[in-house]
Amino acid sequence: MNYKNEFSSESVLFSFLLKFLRINWLIIFCILILGFIGVISLYSAAGGSWDPWAKNHFIRLIFGCILLFGIALTPTYLFKKMSVLAFFLGLLTLIWVKFFGSGDVPRWITVGGINFQPSEFMKLGLILILARYFEYLPTIRIGNLFPYIIPLFLILIPGFLVISQPDLGTGLTIILLGLAILFFVGISIKFVIICSVLLVSSVPIIWQQLYEYQKNRILVFLNPEIDKLGSGYQIIQSKIAIGSGGVFGKGYLLGSQSKLNYLPEKHTDFIFTLISEEFGFLGSMSIVFIFCLLIGVILRISYKTSSIFSKIVAFGVAFLIFLYLSLNIGMVCGLLPVVGAPLPLISYGGTSLLTILIAAGLVLSINIHEKKYS
Amino acid sequence: MKNKNTIKLNKTISRRFLFLSLLKASVIGTISWRLFDLQLIENQKYEKLSDNNQFDFHAITPERGKILDRKMRLIAGNEDAFHLILNWNEDLNTDDIIHKISKVIKLEQNDISNFKNKMNVIDTSIPQKIVITKKLSKKDLSRLVIRSVEFPEISIFMSKRRVYPQGNMVGHITGYIGEISNKDNNYSHIKISGIKVGKRGLEKFFENELTGKYGRKRNEVTAKGFVIASHVYEKTKPGKDIQISLDMDLQAFASKRLERGNFKIQYLNTYKNNSNSFSYDGKKYLYKDKNNKIVFPNSGSLMVMDIVSGEILCSVSSPGFDPNIFSNELQAEEWNILKKNTRSPFLNRSMSGVYPPGSTIKMAVALAALESGLIDFKTKFFCSGSRKLGNREFHCWADDGHGQLNLLEAIEQSCDVYFYELGLKVGINKISQMMKKLGLGQYYDLEIDDKAKGVVPNKEWKFKRDGSRWSLGETLNASIGQGYILTTPLQLVTMASRIASNGLNITPTFTIGKNKNGFESLNINKQHLDYIKKAMERVVTGKKGTAKNYKIGSKKFEMAGKTGTVQVVRISKAEREEGVVKNEDREWKKRDHALFVGYAPANNPKYAISVVVEHGGSGSSVAAPIARDVFKHLFDIKQTG
Repeated sequence: MNYKNEFSSESVLFSFLLKFLRINWLIIFCILILGFIGVISLYSAAGGSWDPWAKNHFIRLIFGCILLFGIALTPTYLFKKMSVLAFFLGLLTLIWVKFFGSGDVPRWITVGGINFQPSEFMKLGLILILARYFEYLPTIRIGNLFPYIIPLFLILIPGFLVISQPDLGTGLTIILLGLAILFFVGISIKFVIICSVLLVSSVPIIWQQLYEYQKNRILVFLNPEIDKLGSGYQIIQSKIAIGSGGVFGKGYLLGSQSKLNYLPEKHTDFIFTLISEEFGFLGSMSIVFIFCLLIGVILRISYKTSSIFSKIVAFGVAFLIFLYLSLNIGMVCGLLPVVGAPLPLISYGGTSLLTILIAAGLVLSINIHEKKYS
Repeated sequence: MKNKNTIKLNKTISRRFLFLSLLKASVIGTISWRLFDLQLIENQKYEKLSDNNQFDFHAITPERGKILDRKMRLIAGNEDAFHLILNWNEDLNTDDIIHKISKVIKLEQNDISNFKNKMNVIDTSIPQKIVITKKLSKKDLSRLVIRSVEFPEISIFMSKRRVYPQGNMVGHITGYIGEISNKDNNYSHIKISGIKVGKRGLEKFFENELTGKYGRKRNEVTAKGFVIASHVYEKTKPGKDIQISLDMDLQAFASKRLERGNFKIQYLNTYKNNSNSFSYDGKKYLYKDKNNKIVFPNSGSLMVMDIVSGEILCSVSSPGFDPNIFSNELQAEEWNILKKNTRSPFLNRSMSGVYPPGSTIKMAVALAALESGLIDFKTKFFCSGSRKLGNREFHCWADDGHGQLNLLEAIEQSCDVYFYELGLKVGINKISQMMKKLGLGQYYDLEIDDKAKGVVPNKEWKFKRDGSRWSLGETLNASIGQGYILTTPLQLVTMASRIASNGLNITPTFTIGKNKNGFESLNINKQHLDYIKKAMERVVTGKKGTAKNYKIGSKKFEMAGKTGTVQVVRISKAEREEGVVKNEDREWKKRDHALFVGYAPANNPKYAISVVVEHGGSGSSVAAPIARDVFKHLFDIKQTG
């Protein structure tokens, strides 16, 4: 009894250790580095103070990492089973938020004193259900559009729900993410072309549906000078901050643009500006590089894994991080309109941090549990 | 079957995988290029923009140099001025604050209404500093400072205010300072708002010397406009003091004497600020004429020049204005009073007022005649009281005529007919040449901008102006300083000093020591000049001299000169036959100008003088006594009467 018990517990411990060793530590390393950069940037954003952001961010990072390890050690098939549930749960909360959400714009849902933004989790739900769908699908005939009709609805329903919140940035991220996965699994090129033509021709209709402030943002993006002190102010000041950083930056805690409050939202969406101002070109490129490394490692896992579900999930996560990164930096350096996209792991905000950490956990779990090509 | 499909799918996925990776790489490449572009290529541009955000550049005004008279008495200086400033932002209720402040100190109604006007026009999106008052007294300042905790939103700004202790006595000469306009901005590299520069007179002419060098400072400001720190990075250099040739003691005496003329002074026991404009400059006395009627102070000009150096010791233009009103914010009320004053207090009569010189020109006519050799000291003419030319009659001031007289007597008694004859003999062109030689009809290189050239007519001038020929009648008029000819008091005093100095090319100046090297000669025969000077002495000392009643009475310091009474309106034949209306009974504007030019001491000329009393009456009874008293003051001789 004793022996058996001991053996069994030992074998559980052993297999646990074995799993632990198989964790991809490069991903952990990237995440921790980025999280740490987030903490010190938020410290600087508060003018050299742990309050109000840096401390919280640090605590969230620690809890998030524990969650990450938990997910990483959970077998992947469990997520496969939960994927449909996760998606519809996400959809339900989105509808809930639409009617009972909190905040000036109803984006938030409060559970046990913690605010969540269901649209962020929706991204994960979408990745999982699309992966589940395409793995379940018995045959895929290239050129046959029929199997793509259901996933298209799966993408567009949450997408438009989020846009109507209104949160154009996150909504577009969801739609782009879904479409990228459809493309990834081999949707016909002809269809892609037809879709893009439809999209372009529907621009005037979408334009009419947009809220006034969303229209303004796009107009101001096209020419920030039309509203120097209004919505163009953000883009202009952000570009000044990035540009004035130079090669080595103005030095930690010495960014005049952020210190003197010229930067709006410097702790959330515009945190990258602060880093660029204080650490210069070297600092900003380092961040881009670390993100690329993270994306690359995840893509490698996606490439190597044999199961379709795992392949799609890992690809989806990599693409999600890529979208976050390019939308955020594109926005702050004036390449894209100001749509409201956080810089994952660095921007202050619990939901996006948690989303990325859960997503990374999924990828780690795939890396540990799934078969690979030799 | 399923396996085959899976393999096919895997193949597709691999292809797409590669495609999407390339897409990602290109997006990230674009972002990297953008960062490279912003941070490395366009770095300097954005650094500058960031600095512009961070820093707010300001000029620091250096202390303006003083203006001193020849005995180092202050004419223009600076005193501390405290401005009360509201650091305004959207959250403040300005009415409350003003109310709170008025409980501690008394705010002028003017300042409050100005402040409210400013509040109505400011751009409310930016916090800014708004001046509540610029005239905070030291007493009020300490009251506010003690209770500064109660007024976190106000601040005190200390600056210098320009003061002119002599007030309106010398306003035309000092000029004043005012806010810089775009027109005279030489400081385009710094923010110019609020900088004051000389606008007129010496303040304008010596602007560069007086100003010194502007410093610069930069303030570090937040996006909301609060100043965090301030660094001076270019120090100021205070302006230089300027000493000018005026003698303020003489100026003060002369200004009062000119104003008084022959009027009686009545001191007011209690000075009432009544609305009649006789007391426009706040004097505590009134002037009354012979009939005990309250009159305006005399308006006119009085100039005294040092003959050796050409330095101007005294330059009075009456009425004056007080340049101090421009140092504070000019009140519309004050401005309107000055502008409405019919005697034009802003006109600097000494330099830009033009008057027909009348008989004071006769020395020039006489010199022209002597120099041309057409007459000599013995030449005599007969004065019957008038001279006929064609069918026009030209009158002498003495209706009964002067009889037979020579040049000396003609100048002494100011016989007009004698000079009509001279004019006819010499011709206008020679006369005008001599006038120009003696300093009329020209500008001088003077430190004051307000200048008039005057008119010295000749045949060409007339033809150019009217296209018609010069007539002999006009020569006659010019010979007694009437008609087209116009001169400024500055030109007259210069003429007097050129004659008195035996024909040196004296030019006037306010700068001490400018003419150290002396003057060139005008090449006028000294014998002729001596003769003219002797005639001018006779004007005062001669038995029939026009100024014989106003001798200084000291042999050593006796003055010499020439009176002039200038008709302003032509006397028609009918009027003359009816008997000319007495000067005092005419409307002020139609009365004669009273002039006197001269120098003293007669035997050793040191100072030249010109007196113009606008519509003052006769030169001998109004202008001559003023000149005498000024000379007496100058030579420290006790005044009588």
